[in-house]
Amino acid sequence: MPAGAQPILDVKGLRTVFATRQGEVHAVNSVSFDLYPGELLGVVGESGSGKSVTMMSLIGLLPSPPAEVREGQVLFEGIDLLKADAETLRRIRGARIGFVFQDPMTSLNPVFTVGFQLMEPLRKHMGMTKAQARARARELLELVGIPDAGRRLDDYPHQFSGGMRQRVMIAIALACDPKVLIADEPTTALDVTIQAQILELIKELRQKLGMAIIWITHDLGVVAEIADRVIVMYGGQIVEQAPVEALFEDPRHPYTRAHLQTVPHVRGPRAPRLRVIEGQPPILGAPPTACPFRFRCRHRFERCDRENPTRREVAPGHDAACFWSPEEERTAPVAAAGGAHA
Amino acid sequence: MLDTAASPAPEASAGAARPLVEVRGLKMYFPIHTGLLRRHTGDVKAVDDVSFDILEGETLGLVGESGCGKSTCGRAVLRLYDITAGSIRLEGREIGQLSQEALRPLRPRMQMVFQDPQASLNPRMTVASIIGEPLVEHTSMSRAERLERIWELMDAVGLNRDFANRYPHEFSGGQRQRIGIARALALNPKFIVCDEPIAALDVSIQAQVVNLLEDLQEQLGLTYLFISHDLSMVRHIADRVAVMYLGRIVELAPRDDLYAEPLHPYAKALLSAVPEPDPKIARAARRIILKGDVPSPANPPKGCNFSTRCPRVMEICRRIDPALTEVAPGRQVACHLYTDASESAEETAPERGESNDTRQQGEEE
Repeated sequence: MPAGAQPILDVKGLRTVFATRQGEVHAVNSVSFDLYPGELLGVVGESGSGKSVTMMSLIGLLPSPPAEVREGQVLFEGIDLLKADAETLRRIRGARIGFVFQDPMTSLNPVFTVGFQLMEPLRKHMGMTKAQARARARELLELVGIPDAGRRLDDYPHQFSGGMRQRVMIAIALACDPKVLIADEPTTALDVTIQAQILELIKELRQKLGMAIIWITHDLGVVAEIADRVIVMYGGQIVEQAPVEALFEDPRHPYTRAHLQTVPHVRGPRAPRLRVIEGQPPILGAPPTACPFRFRCRHRFERCDRENPTRREVAPGHDAACFWSPEEERTAPVAAAGGAHA
Repeated sequence: MLDTAASPAPEASAGAARPLVEVRGLKMYFPIHTGLLRRHTGDVKAVDDVSFDILEGETLGLVGESGCGKSTCGRAVLRLYDITAGSIRLEGREIGQLSQEALRPLRPRMQMVFQDPQASLNPRMTVASIIGEPLVEHTSMSRAERLERIWELMDAVGLNRDFANRYPHEFSGGQRQRIGIARALALNPKFIVCDEPIAALDVSIQAQVVNLLEDLQEQLGLTYLFISHDLSMVRHIADRVAVMYLGRIVELAPRDDLYAEPLHPYAKALLSAVPEPDPKIARAARRIILKGDVPSPANPPKGCNFSTRCPRVMEICRRIDPALTEVAPGRQVACHLYTDASESAEETAPERGESNDTRQQGEEE
């Protein structure tokens, strides 16, 4: 975290609840984090951990009902986005805050040309004329590395490959020169060699444009490669937050530690057996009054059943929501306890 | 459609284990019909002349990116398709050209675990009836015997017996995959094709399922063809690995050799593209970024299928398709860099010449 800098986005105590036929589901519980200008914040967690819902809540993209953002404050450029009226939100979304979603085929409109879809935000948000918008659209396609950009403006989404479509999505998100880009699993649907191309592109664009990025993913490898700082989500809350090196070198939350040990590697030594986190992630019918990870945790003790731990600083810029402290076990290597499940 | 000129047999790594499955010159083409008369105007060459062995008790990993033909290959080996050409031997018996009728008594020996347990389990059947269905079809067990076997299978895959009368939607993704595995095991198969069995699951659940597959292999002496795009998981589970690109196997090697030093330029690029969950390694890694996209299997390039994207492409690659050849014990590569030493393999790749396919070029960066 850059010292002294003002966060560009400041989220406090966000709570999002879904109404379902089986009752309420508390998908996001007291989530607080900030984002600094120019940084890339990785958000990791498994399906249902609340990572996408958190980001959708910020910018009012969840359909309500069933979703309801019940509490919290989201400050962006001095405006609380949760209190802003629809018109203000519309001016911010797609202009000051851009998005890229997982599946580029479903997020592009198949009946309009790529050029049209690129020009739309430019004309709506920036008030450009058609000719200006077209020139800018062409520049944007060139920026994201699409060859023969001028001609491809008139092509439809199906005429692009998956990787090229995701480039188009990135170009649309960048069209109005946003301060913040929210990318929700943007490479998950892509093959690994195409993912590598997109990761290179993002690194390049950060250098050129310097926007802040929130990158949601379940892939620890992607986070390790591109993030500056990481938040780890579990059961609708942030369980750990740290600079990327610290998170991988010295993970403090038992979930983060276990998660890092379950993934096999392509390089380095090969573990003879995968470590497993037994059990399933929770579905929260009520705001948690105890640690959501306790049933799967090897370090659970009596306090974990009584209280939901809040995040406490464990090192400068590094916090974790856990009562247990790894220091106690520093002498005994963690690996020794691995695979000790029945 | 018998293919008499099957490719030369690739010799499996020497050892006591004999091949359980022998595939030679396997081709699986899907016809393209166009126009008013639905004339046959071409073929999607999903699997185009593939040969490999799977040894008894081993796991052969089959990796590649979407559309490379790995799933089609797995299904073709089980004869879920009527194959275009080639020979498939299971336990020494030729099954490549058998009719579906004749295959039926052999089905218990070979089974499949599918990618999406949501789609591959009938939502209207209980867990017991799903797992028991193969027993009804292929055995003459009594109801009581069947239930006993169903319980045994549920125990084996770690499902609670009490849930036998529940429906698939009541289970999580990982548990559903256990149901799919139990069904595949019902008839005591020797050989199981696992087609992306963990792709739909979360990371922590993936490890549970992979460990289960490994335990079952050890207990029951199973042989797996493990199809996946997840290179790190394949490194974990497979003994040998075949890398596919556009319908061909480009490299086949023992797992440790392949991951330590991939030989084929595509295998190199593929492995280098996997992001490492360690910031120090990930940021220091020298990555080979492939340009452009995979060509269409309906219209593969002349010569080597990888020649349009290969960073080390040579003139010969655009003319002659390299055959899969053994370059070291147990290691096979289909690449001109290794087939002919006189071609000065070390010389730097020439600049990419103008392509005769301009549209193709336009798609690339």
